[in-house]
Amino acid sequence: MNLRLSAGPHFVARESTQTLMLDVIIALIPTTAAGVYLFGIRAAWVLAISVISAVLAEFIWQKLAKKPVRVSDLSAVVTGLILGLNMPPEVPLWLPAIGSFLAIMLVKQLFGGLGQNFMNPALLARGVMLVSWPALMSVYTLPVRVLGNTSVEASADAVSAATALIRPSAYSTYDLLIGNIPGAIGEVCKLAIIIGFLYLLFVGTISWHIPVCFVGTVALLSWILGSDPLIAILSGGVLFGAVFMATDYVTNPMLNIGHIIFGIGCGVIVVVIRKFGSYPEGVTFAILIMNILTPLIDRWTHRRVYGMVKKHA
Amino acid sequence: MRNEKTTMRGVFINGVLNENPVFRLVLGVCPTLASTTNAINGLGMGAAATFVLLGSNIVISMLRNFIPDKVRIPAFIVVISTFVTIVQMLIQAFVPSLYEALGLFIPLIVVNCIILARAEAFASKNSVLHSAADGLGMGAGFTLALIIIGVVREILGNGSVFGIDVLGASFQPMLLAIMAPGGFIIFGLILGIVNSIVNKIGKRSAGKGAEA
Amino acid sequence: MARLSFKGGIHPLKEIHEGKHATKDKGIRAYMPEEVCIPLDQHLGAPSTPVVKKGDMVLVGQVIAEAVGPKGIPVHASVSGEVTGVVQKQLLHDKPSTCVCIKNDGADTWVEHAGLGSVETAPADQIIPAVRSAGICGMGGACFPTHAKMTLPEGQTVDTIILNGSECETFITADHRLMLEQPEQVVDGLRAAMRAMKVAKGIIAIEENKRNAYEAITKAASAREGVSVALLKTKYPQGGEKQLIHAVTGREVPSGGLPMHARVVVLNVATAAAIADAVTQGKPLIERITTVTGCVKEPSNLLLRVGTPVSEVIAACGGTTEEPGKMFFGGSMTGVALPDDTVNVTKANNCLVVVNKKDAVLKDATPCIRCGRCVAACPIMLNPMRLNELCEAGNLEEAKKNNMMDCILCGSCGYVCPAKIKFPFKEAKDKIAARRI
Repeated sequence: MNLRLSAGPHFVARESTQTLMLDVIIALIPTTAAGVYLFGIRAAWVLAISVISAVLAEFIWQKLAKKPVRVSDLSAVVTGLILGLNMPPEVPLWLPAIGSFLAIMLVKQLFGGLGQNFMNPALLARGVMLVSWPALMSVYTLPVRVLGNTSVEASADAVSAATALIRPSAYSTYDLLIGNIPGAIGEVCKLAIIIGFLYLLFVGTISWHIPVCFVGTVALLSWILGSDPLIAILSGGVLFGAVFMATDYVTNPMLNIGHIIFGIGCGVIVVVIRKFGSYPEGVTFAILIMNILTPLIDRWTHRRVYGMVKKHA
Repeated sequence: MRNEKTTMRGVFINGVLNENPVFRLVLGVCPTLASTTNAINGLGMGAAATFVLLGSNIVISMLRNFIPDKVRIPAFIVVISTFVTIVQMLIQAFVPSLYEALGLFIPLIVVNCIILARAEAFASKNSVLHSAADGLGMGAGFTLALIIIGVVREILGNGSVFGIDVLGASFQPMLLAIMAPGGFIIFGLILGIVNSIVNKIGKRSAGKGAEA
Repeated sequence: MARLSFKGGIHPLKEIHEGKHATKDKGIRAYMPEEVCIPLDQHLGAPSTPVVKKGDMVLVGQVIAEAVGPKGIPVHASVSGEVTGVVQKQLLHDKPSTCVCIKNDGADTWVEHAGLGSVETAPADQIIPAVRSAGICGMGGACFPTHAKMTLPEGQTVDTIILNGSECETFITADHRLMLEQPEQVVDGLRAAMRAMKVAKGIIAIEENKRNAYEAITKAASAREGVSVALLKTKYPQGGEKQLIHAVTGREVPSGGLPMHARVVVLNVATAAAIADAVTQGKPLIERITTVTGCVKEPSNLLLRVGTPVSEVIAACGGTTEEPGKMFFGGSMTGVALPDDTVNVTKANNCLVVVNKKDAVLKDATPCIRCGRCVAACPIMLNPMRLNELCEAGNLEEAKKNNMMDCILCGSCGYVCPAKIKFPFKEAKDKIAARRI
């Protein structure tokens, strides 16, 4: 008989990298649907182009570098989707394509591929685009359709408008929650993000530590500095960043105590940039800075190993 | 060890290719990043630095047996700064737009690592003619590197090459390319490409050498 | 009833009831082999030296190999019949093992044996020698000579004996059926050990997925002095002695130390039953219960004679249902794969699992995505993510500083990893141990 000789474990868990990525994609479906509903077919094009460009970029790189092509692990799809959801809906369509190529080739593959990037790829690409094409990346428009009972007037003609961060009083809390506001495609509908968060918690893909500490710190610090904490959480990209970008496995610390430090750090930096910096939104840079600090956090945090006790008499 | 390094032609080519100061020795990175926001500035800085390199290498080589070892660095700096002052006045007089563009980086050529390094490593130990070849080669290599990086950054950040618009009015320039962080990223990428090409050539000739 | 537990751990194969559903309700049935090949190196320590040769006639329970050194144990014939040879056979160790092969004459004639009476009245100082002459070693898998475990070094005291009835590994139901069908024997064995080591407290620890066994043991232990029963949460690796001691007593075995340093001794329930047989009847260890499951026609809990060839074991279960792709002794987390079916069952083999061709193939490893599931799963609170990086880089000094040697090789990290990484911790531990000698 021809028997395989291998070491245990001989049966392993069914979860794989692919199933984890698939869970993230499923959690992003409510946000994607809300974004496309609110911002129309243009938003769908932006998302489609980012995802396809990301997959293409990874395929091309892996073929050229003569490495095994692993687009089926869906990590490029997730990067492309998150990048697309971070864009304003009326960007020229070549922009998300370039962004996806930057994210996959420059940030992820150049540094060694899956598991080796030192910063969140979608976020660093967004940062690069923010600095390179500031005019294009800061034009936000009113939604083309609104949800529910609201005084916000939808506009099919891509009327540019100030985001809630610049003029918070223009929108009611309901509008902020449901997404009848100008903003990036994925960040406006907070309700959809919360549904996604609950799904990810339920299937065990992420733990609560980073999102709760991140959002909690933003609320607490904003309240201390005199703003309404609920408005502070519901405006801008805090929820989307906390749930989908700060929780990227590769770029956050290993231990739970590290996650708590990471979340709090992100929250502090967001509030500092919002209050004292020249950008209206600080989520992108806050998460990127904490990504860079992650190896340091890992070096400073330890767990007590079983058995590291004094010998019993 | 081949004899190419010891002929004047060999010394010159060494400065441009094998030991290109920017891509292989990674010296003079600061003026590289500052002056490559467009190709003309890169060319201008390269020309200025070459003038200084040539002059200082020749003079230091002529004086190499007279400069006491203990005071050689201050002596080199005096020679180099003399030539920098000359070139600064020349640029100010004849190409004022370049003077405005390069600004502080012209007098900073004095502390450009390339010039001091070549004075110390080559000019103080070799004949005048060879030192001249080295100065010219290193300067040419520096200029070549600056032009390459300058062209890339100018195309991305401005849509033009040497001031000539090549990508049309609908091109949205990538502002990061003409800023310092973008300069670092682009410099790093080009450095990576150059070194991987050099490694491949090195492997191929080592393979040929092994077969021979 | 409070359920005790430990930090970390996993629930392997929870979706198929840990693979135990096929055999947990099957009563123990005995199987008589046609021939046996008994390895003389089944136990940890020096192999025993044979005292029989080809052509000798032996009876069941007769000594066929003598103990070597104070920690050694004798080996006994598990069937009666003619010795067909004393051979070198390549089994699962690195080097070939000396084996005594006996052709069963079917008569099952026992050698004369006499016990010391009831465990409560037997002379306490004769219990440990009786355990040694019966050739008893840890039947949970490690096969450490039990008399050596029960003999403490000078100055070391122990105040609790724990019987490990958790059987936390997947597929195995041998200890479960033993506790259900012969609970008095298990408790007797514990009492014998307690009296021999002068220990006042004995605790039998059982996982809650074996409720009927828990009730049977509780009933059998109810009138016995100093014996109590502890109910544990079902989690792997609850049966690992470090986790077991922590869950039952709250103490931790110090890093690099042994259970006795936490003033505890842990014995497997099957070992305890064997101790009871040795003390009360003078019966040596020649048979054990082995779960046979997986792709066999009749998954069973067989009472097997030591040295039974795996081919006969599978035939006793009706043969395989499809062509096997892999077979392993033990559970799926720490089991040892067999090269073929000519290997023989030893005192430590509590389970045999036959796996089909499809399930035998495991996915290749992909890059680590730093998800941290391994960190959450490790019952020793190590950081497998970091240790894997260090071992891959060959940095064993740093791995040792990060407590690599405390790893109990339970496989929890390898089980949960979504990237299917095969953690190289056994090789790393072996290398670190070898260099420091």
